[in-house]
Amino acid sequence: MRKILCGTSALAVIFFASLDANAQSIQNTDPSSQALLERIEKLESELNALRQAISQSAQTADAAQATAQNAIKTVNVVQKQTAKAMQGRYSGAESDAKWHLAGYADVGFVGSDRPGADSFVTGKFNPGFHFQYKDLLVFESELEFSTTSDGETATELEYSQFDIILNDYITVVAGKYLSPIGQFQERLHPSWINKIQGAPAGFGHDGVQPTSDTGVQVRGAVPIGKSRLTYSLALGNGPRTTSEGGVALEGVGRDDNSNKSLGGRLGFFPIPNLEIGGSYLTAKVGGYEGEAVAHAETPIQVSSDDPLGLDQARYTLWGMDGAYSKGALSARFEYLKSHRGTLFSITGEEPLGDVLPRLGMEAWYGQVSYRLSNVGDSDFLHNLEPVIRYGQFRISGHDELEEENAQDRFNVGLNYWLAPTIVAKAGLEWRNFKVLGVDSEQLYQFQIAYGF
Amino acid sequence: MKQSSLSPIKGASLILFLGVLLMGTASMAASPAKSKASQKPDPMQVVRGAKAWKNNCGRCHNLRSPKELTDAEWDVSVTHMRVRANLLAPEAEDIKAFLKASN
Ligand code: HEC
Repeated sequence: MRKILCGTSALAVIFFASLDANAQSIQNTDPSSQALLERIEKLESELNALRQAISQSAQTADAAQATAQNAIKTVNVVQKQTAKAMQGRYSGAESDAKWHLAGYADVGFVGSDRPGADSFVTGKFNPGFHFQYKDLLVFESELEFSTTSDGETATELEYSQFDIILNDYITVVAGKYLSPIGQFQERLHPSWINKIQGAPAGFGHDGVQPTSDTGVQVRGAVPIGKSRLTYSLALGNGPRTTSEGGVALEGVGRDDNSNKSLGGRLGFFPIPNLEIGGSYLTAKVGGYEGEAVAHAETPIQVSSDDPLGLDQARYTLWGMDGAYSKGALSARFEYLKSHRGTLFSITGEEPLGDVLPRLGMEAWYGQVSYRLSNVGDSDFLHNLEPVIRYGQFRISGHDELEEENAQDRFNVGLNYWLAPTIVAKAGLEWRNFKVLGVDSEQLYQFQIAYGF
Repeated sequence: MKQSSLSPIKGASLILFLGVLLMGTASMAASPAKSKASQKPDPMQVVRGAKAWKNNCGRCHNLRSPKELTDAEWDVSVTHMRVRANLLAPEAEDIKAFLKASN
């Protein structure tokens, strides 16, 4: 026990002595301390190296940050430039030529109380093309594709026209255009616009309203006070006599007589929500010359040796229209009356020719629709639009046409608007034919139409 | 025959006369009004355009949302409508500005 105590005290003395020595002088150290010292020095230099490395990496970090900031700046610049470029691209600020693909399509179902007449109808696909060069010219065209009842695909050029913008007030239209007479053809017939499936009696094909014409128009608007006066004046190939002895009012690629039709419409706004228009058209029509003539290369022979002067007849048409629209309410009215003088013509039934008596046609309709956008608080209700239309079509001087077409027509419909240009229509139509013995007909109509 | 062709001819000449008259006054008034240099953005133009859009673009069909088309397409479509609906040119320009600012 003593030995252990003595040993420990000796070690302690040595330990303290060496500590003291260390404190006094670095040189005078024993070997073990020397090793310690060396280790400390080594640690110190390692620490320095580490410090250096750290400061170096801090520099690197700074550099990296600077680079990142630069990158962000560059990205910002690029973003701005891209936005500008996109703007340039879409505003068309830089491009002189712009175009737009538009048109409409519809599908439907028509049922009838006549036996065997229920049918899905393929509807129509009407692509429209608009190309504009600066503020100078628009070329616009619309095709109509549809499937006929026997499965053929029918293609029609609805219109194809140059609109040359002369100045703020005058645009010259040249080509095949929708007739500016009245409202229905030019403004309302596309199925996404028309609130009822089908045209009013007398305003579709084979009606009193011209559908299209080929020629030139001068049109535009002039300001009067806070309002404007609109005008459309047209000089076209004009109407033609059909093989049935009626009058075809569709734009033809070739005139059958050198007499052009002259017509147009003037419109004005007595109050901002109401537009009133008046239309007029005058032309001469010749007799029907047979199927081949319309397509032949040779000049069309007008038989001017007719002693009675019945080889040409005067055709005139006049009409009035009104359209009121305010918010959810829209009301329209249109009236057209035409007559053609006595005419000598070949017909399908009389290949040697026949004198056709004076032909008179008269049609009108009124239509009111109201969108329930402010009724109740259901979204479904807000998209609904009830519509009614009533019209009459009268024909005199042509028994067959009168039998087929003269009628009172009443429509009620309910439309559901999925979007401003997508509509699902359901409607009922009553046709009350005016010739004794022709049964009246009731139709059920369903249609989906999309304007794009 | 003679009698019935008299009034149409009168009517035709009336239309022709009115047309020439309109064209005359229009082209006289046209030259100063054609302000092509209106490149400076006019904030009031968009406001005027919004009003003109609401008053004119829902007459024949539903108002179509500005979001439907791109700027270039609106340029074409509004020119198309200007011709179809016989709009005043400055009105059409305002409507374009409004539609392109809101799509
Ligand atoms: C006079 C009636 C009328 C007025 C007013 C009218 N539109 Fe139209 N709009 C039409 C008709 C008709 C079509 C269908 C054209 C076709 O299919 O041939 C149409 C089509 C369109 C289309 C489809 C693309 C196209 O160019 O065919 C857009 C978009 C459009 N209108 C926007 C407008 C705007 C914007 C205004 C106001 C500046 C306006 N419409 C005023 C009758 C009108």
